[in-house]
Amino acid sequence: MRTKKILAIIISLSMFMSLSSCGKKSSKVEGEFRIGIGQFAEHPSLDNCREGFLLGLREEGFEQGKNVTFRIDNAQTDGGFASQIFDNYVNNNMDMIVAIATPMAQMAYSRAKDKNIPVIFTAVTDPVAAELADENGKPVGNITGTSDKLPVDLQLSLIHEMYPEAKRVGILYTTSEVNSISSIEEYKYYASSYGIDIITQGISDTSDMALACDNILNKVDVMTNVTDNTVVASLPVLLSKANEKNIPVFGSEIEQVKKGCIACMGLDYVELGKQTGRMAAKILKGEVEAKNLNYEIIESASLYVNSKVADNLNYIINQDIIDRANQVFDTIS
Amino acid sequence: MDAIELLKFYFITPQEIIGILTGVLREGLMYSVASLGVYITYKILDFPDMTVDSSFPLGMSITAILLILDVPPILTLCISFIAGALVGVITGIIHVKFGVRDLLSGIIVMTALYSINLRIAGRSNLPVFKKPTIFHLEYFNFLDRSMKTILILLVIVAICKILLDYYLKTKNGYLLRSVGDNEKLVTALAKDKGNVKIIGLAIANGFVAFAGSIFTHDRGFFEISAGTGTLVIAVSNVIIGMQIAKRIKCISDTTAVIIGSILYRACISIALSWGLEPRDLKLITASLLLIILVMNSIKRKNKVA
Amino acid sequence: MIELRNVSKYYNTGSVTETCVFNKFNLNIDKNEFVSVVGSNGSGKTTMLNIICGSIKVDRGDVFLDNKNITNVPEYKRMVKIGRVFQNPAFGTCPSLNIIENMALAENKNKSFDLKPLVDKNRVEKYKTMLKSLNLGLEDKCDINVGALSGGQRQAIALLMSTMIDIKFLILDEHTAALDPKTADVIMELTDKIVKEKNLTAIMVTHNLRYAVEYGNRLLMMHDGQIVIDVKNEEKKNLKVEDVLDKFTTISIECGN
Repeated sequence: MRTKKILAIIISLSMFMSLSSCGKKSSKVEGEFRIGIGQFAEHPSLDNCREGFLLGLREEGFEQGKNVTFRIDNAQTDGGFASQIFDNYVNNNMDMIVAIATPMAQMAYSRAKDKNIPVIFTAVTDPVAAELADENGKPVGNITGTSDKLPVDLQLSLIHEMYPEAKRVGILYTTSEVNSISSIEEYKYYASSYGIDIITQGISDTSDMALACDNILNKVDVMTNVTDNTVVASLPVLLSKANEKNIPVFGSEIEQVKKGCIACMGLDYVELGKQTGRMAAKILKGEVEAKNLNYEIIESASLYVNSKVADNLNYIINQDIIDRANQVFDTIS
Repeated sequence: MDAIELLKFYFITPQEIIGILTGVLREGLMYSVASLGVYITYKILDFPDMTVDSSFPLGMSITAILLILDVPPILTLCISFIAGALVGVITGIIHVKFGVRDLLSGIIVMTALYSINLRIAGRSNLPVFKKPTIFHLEYFNFLDRSMKTILILLVIVAICKILLDYYLKTKNGYLLRSVGDNEKLVTALAKDKGNVKIIGLAIANGFVAFAGSIFTHDRGFFEISAGTGTLVIAVSNVIIGMQIAKRIKCISDTTAVIIGSILYRACISIALSWGLEPRDLKLITASLLLIILVMNSIKRKNKVA
Repeated sequence: MIELRNVSKYYNTGSVTETCVFNKFNLNIDKNEFVSVVGSNGSGKTTMLNIICGSIKVDRGDVFLDNKNITNVPEYKRMVKIGRVFQNPAFGTCPSLNIIENMALAENKNKSFDLKPLVDKNRVEKYKTMLKSLNLGLEDKCDINVGALSGGQRQAIALLMSTMIDIKFLILDEHTAALDPKTADVIMELTDKIVKEKNLTAIMVTHNLRYAVEYGNRLLMMHDGQIVIDVKNEEKKNLKVEDVLDKFTTISIECGN
């Protein structure tokens, strides 16, 4: 009996709290936009993306409290939450739904398909493969956004500029990570124009790392990374093995350069977010509809260099590169 | 974090209440099918079956690939059930015939199935947005889409429940119930308890894969990470359901599991609308579960004393 | 008939704690014998039952049941002909099922467990008649889960269930040990009645010397994996509890107990 009472109290308390929080909720104000932002997981890149998006909108005059109210939710990689988050947006007739990362974008599309709410996605590597755009890059519905595809061509050109004599570029990847495999295809596509051979080595999990490093480092002049979660997670192994052999490792993101990669032409996720924000602004202003707006790939990549790593490798970075770099790090974190 | 707190704002309208209710019902009903499966392993067989975390995405991946191959949507549900059942048999054989511990045999199959799921789908994320699903069937068209979805789900869940209830009343079903209750009795009945366990695992994982299949139909895409945590959610649903069944005598265990699944989702929705950060949800879930279990054992102790 | 031929059984083989339970042990039990087995703890009584039922494997030797060598037949297949009641009343029944369901399960033994409903409404009356014959008032508690019944009631049901279909052998493993003296008497009476009615070959391990002497037509006393007393029929009839107790004490003193 007592437990029953305690349970009843807990449930009624939570009911009460949920209702009392309703009081705080304001209803729709004329001339005000309501935007729901659903993020897939907490992750530095995705956080940057979201912040960038808010900045991008602000630059175009859309600001929280002024003419926009945001609701931001994080699904914590849980499909069930993701579904509920977008259900909530759809039921509220939000003016716009923003989805950050591929599974989130797909969920948003799935939930908003029958309503006419515009969906903007960002940090989707391959919108075509995710069926968020058709083969010609046209939207499949009232949905558009930006892709965080790696600037592979620019990265190769950076490698070629810094190491003109390097003919064999190695990439480590996890066989189960689809993004890595498609990035490698991309590398192979562009490599020939630089006279570079791409040499790959697959791993199945972190435990294979050391062996795989030993193996591939004997065959290459330079290493470069893709956004492979497993490889990036055990980056220190690769870096220490490469250092022993005096082989430079190029990164794929700013974080990797901080950790000891020599340089990268990486995505600036804040920039990506801003670009998405500008697209969203266009739609909010009524200049264009999401269904008529093709998805965009980031227009510019950012150059990051680590001078400390270069010193360790006895490599002198060309002043021109230093000048062009968005950021030069002189420590290894 | 403060900035986000500031940005967060809530509004509730009748539509939102209906929206939350339909959302809760839909997610709850979909998970209830998986929970019925876990009810068999967790409650009846007393077997901590980790296979569930991979038979769920197995149903998802098989359904995604079958829909792409234009297999009729209803058939994908059945094929998923069979595939799940086969996986359950494998876990069972590893446990029963090779003598590997229950938890471990589930983990082995789960690990192996991760790769197999990737192979089936070909990639870790496979959309089927362009294909018709069970929710596009030409029934109940007078309803709006979310109501239609719920009605279709209700029909599916009801069929699953009735079939499972019937099975548990058959000779074979009773044998399954006794193997979890008292293995010695099954041996005394001149039946191989190992085979009975294998049958149980097969049915359980069949249900779980079936639920995975429904998820692909609803979501419109397969995602490899979707299975992680299925077991915990389903076990929570079963535990909540068992509490209900204990307190309200007139409802059957299976009905209680279904209600438990819906209640669990409702709790999460309440927590979310409460302004809770999703990042804390797993902690809240675990605490809630612990409270229920602890209160139960306190009650039991009181009874003994 | 049941026969153990040159059976050897060791526990913890190969380790320092290796113990020999049986070394070339032989036993022959004829059809329709009701054998009571007594002996001190560790004398091998329960191991013997487990070997007959197949719960444990022998290291050497052969086990015969009805003239068939069943040494390598798994436990559950031997149960086709054997019924077994354990010391723990919980082992013989399914606690979360009610009495009728338990009995229906037992009645379906050696038939196929298919997808037909288990409980046949027409059989319920028959089950109730059987329960009534126990005089424990169980016929009014048919819908109660067996787990909620007392140990004696459960043991009575277990006994009923293990002999519900035609089996040839009944193995009783201290089946009255966990019960209070009065209930134990009731169960013992019931056992004797069933064994006689069904013409079963039975082996009963017990610590109750009175039961061992009073019931059955053969008595075995075991010690250290050997049979030290084996009396049958007429000889058994003249046996008194004191005789057995004397022998028992002598052995115990020899062992330094």
